[in-house]
Amino acid sequence: MDPAGCLGIRPALFPGVPMLELLSFGPNGWGGQLLLGTAMTVAVAVSAFAFGIVVGSLGASAKLSHSLVLNTIADVYTTVVRGVPELLVIYLLFFGGSGVATAIARAFGYDGRVDLDAFTIGVLAVGLISGAYSTEVIRGAVQSVPFGQIEAAKACGMSRWLILRRVLVPQTMRFALPGLGNVWQLTLKDTALVSVTALAELMRVTHLAAGATREPFLFYSAAAALYLLLTTISTALFNRAELSANRGVRRA
Amino acid sequence: MNRHPPVSDTATAAVVVEDLHKRFGELEVLKGVSLTAREGDVITLIGSSGSGKSTLLRCINMLEIPDDGRIVIGGEAIALKKKRGNTVPADARQVERLRTRLGMVFQSFNLWTHMTILQNVIEAPVHVLGVPKAEAVDRARMLLDKVGILAKADAYPVQLSGGQQQRAAIARALAMQPKVMLFDEPTSALDPELVGEVLRVIRQLADEGSTMILVTHEMGFAREVASKVVFLHQGRIEEEGSPDKVLTDPDSDRVRQFLSRHLSGAA
Repeated sequence: MDPAGCLGIRPALFPGVPMLELLSFGPNGWGGQLLLGTAMTVAVAVSAFAFGIVVGSLGASAKLSHSLVLNTIADVYTTVVRGVPELLVIYLLFFGGSGVATAIARAFGYDGRVDLDAFTIGVLAVGLISGAYSTEVIRGAVQSVPFGQIEAAKACGMSRWLILRRVLVPQTMRFALPGLGNVWQLTLKDTALVSVTALAELMRVTHLAAGATREPFLFYSAAAALYLLLTTISTALFNRAELSANRGVRRA
Repeated sequence: MNRHPPVSDTATAAVVVEDLHKRFGELEVLKGVSLTAREGDVITLIGSSGSGKSTLLRCINMLEIPDDGRIVIGGEAIALKKKRGNTVPADARQVERLRTRLGMVFQSFNLWTHMTILQNVIEAPVHVLGVPKAEAVDRARMLLDKVGILAKADAYPVQLSGGQQQRAAIARALAMQPKVMLFDEPTSALDPELVGEVLRVIRQLADEGSTMILVTHEMGFAREVASKVVFLHQGRIEEEGSPDKVLTDPDSDRVRQFLSRHLSGAA
């Protein structure tokens, strides 16, 4: 392999097609594919992040509970998922996920085989990774809520559920949002690993385009720009959310 | 004492505490305390720090769960049970219901920081008692006016001074129309110049005949508003009686020593 080929010096497979046209939406362009791939990346990232928040909330509750069993389960979960390469988690779910899902379905009396599609596996895998980090962020945020806020709610006769909904969650949000913003960025970037399962997200489409056109640098640069665009937009959104969650807090 | 004529025996007791025990680990904070607050009583709990006065107050609305003893709110005893050696409420719903009849004011205000003052005041009436929002807002505005901070209704707690926050917290407690108000050192976290405005509001409530139990270090104030003063020492009641008796001519030497330390500085 000529490394210079990566710089596009070698004659391309599409002779005569200008580089920028390769990125266009025209007949010779990959623009439409890249756009679809970006949409898929966003879909996986949003689903995985949401799943991770649910897992993280459960994980944080388990870590903060007084039950030794729940503490241990949550500790094992965060230790394993954060201690194993993320790519490996995806492989484990890709090759083992359908088997586990089939076994669970059998336990509920379903005889057929359950095949998880690449999207579901991607969301589960990235969501479990995201959830491990969210667990720690949410646990820390819950512990940051001054206890007097909860006591005042108790003293008014609020039930546990009402305290959770009206006081604990809104108060936790303002402490959790900066950390969750970081988790979101990690999650968005982790979706690139799902390309190994051939799911047509941005990384996979870029890889295919790079191979087909022999213009890898061009396409990987385009992908980098698209990822950067996504993280920039989402950072701005998180900053706005933080502002709104921090109403009534004096700026330091 | 003209302000608080002796209550007749037939008056229903608002709060009855019988032989209350509470320990934190090895430390026994309450060693058998009994107390009765009749309707219209203003009871002040005094004593040095660690005497158990705040713990006693916090047991009344179950923010601390007593290990032993009985608490009766408006004739209804709080059901307790033993669970793995710990005493716990037998019925969480009952505790929640009884808490709505007890207004609590904390030393550190504890206003919900993510809500405006008005939202703080209507929160529990709307979500716990199910009062229609418009009605709750009207009542909240009336209460905020009463404590003198109506202009701050739409501000967040952090924008208020300590004295204003505490008055807002009093309005929040009053919004539940409680039978009894509990004050846990309501002026201890305030700058000296802000103490007066909070005490004025509490005094006004006392004058209106509210039933109150008040933990305080303000001896002068205790003498003015209390119908009964209870002195706690190391988890037991050392002396109780009318403010004139306990605060000027106590039987106990401990009370005498305590007063000589506190009245000199607090004058």
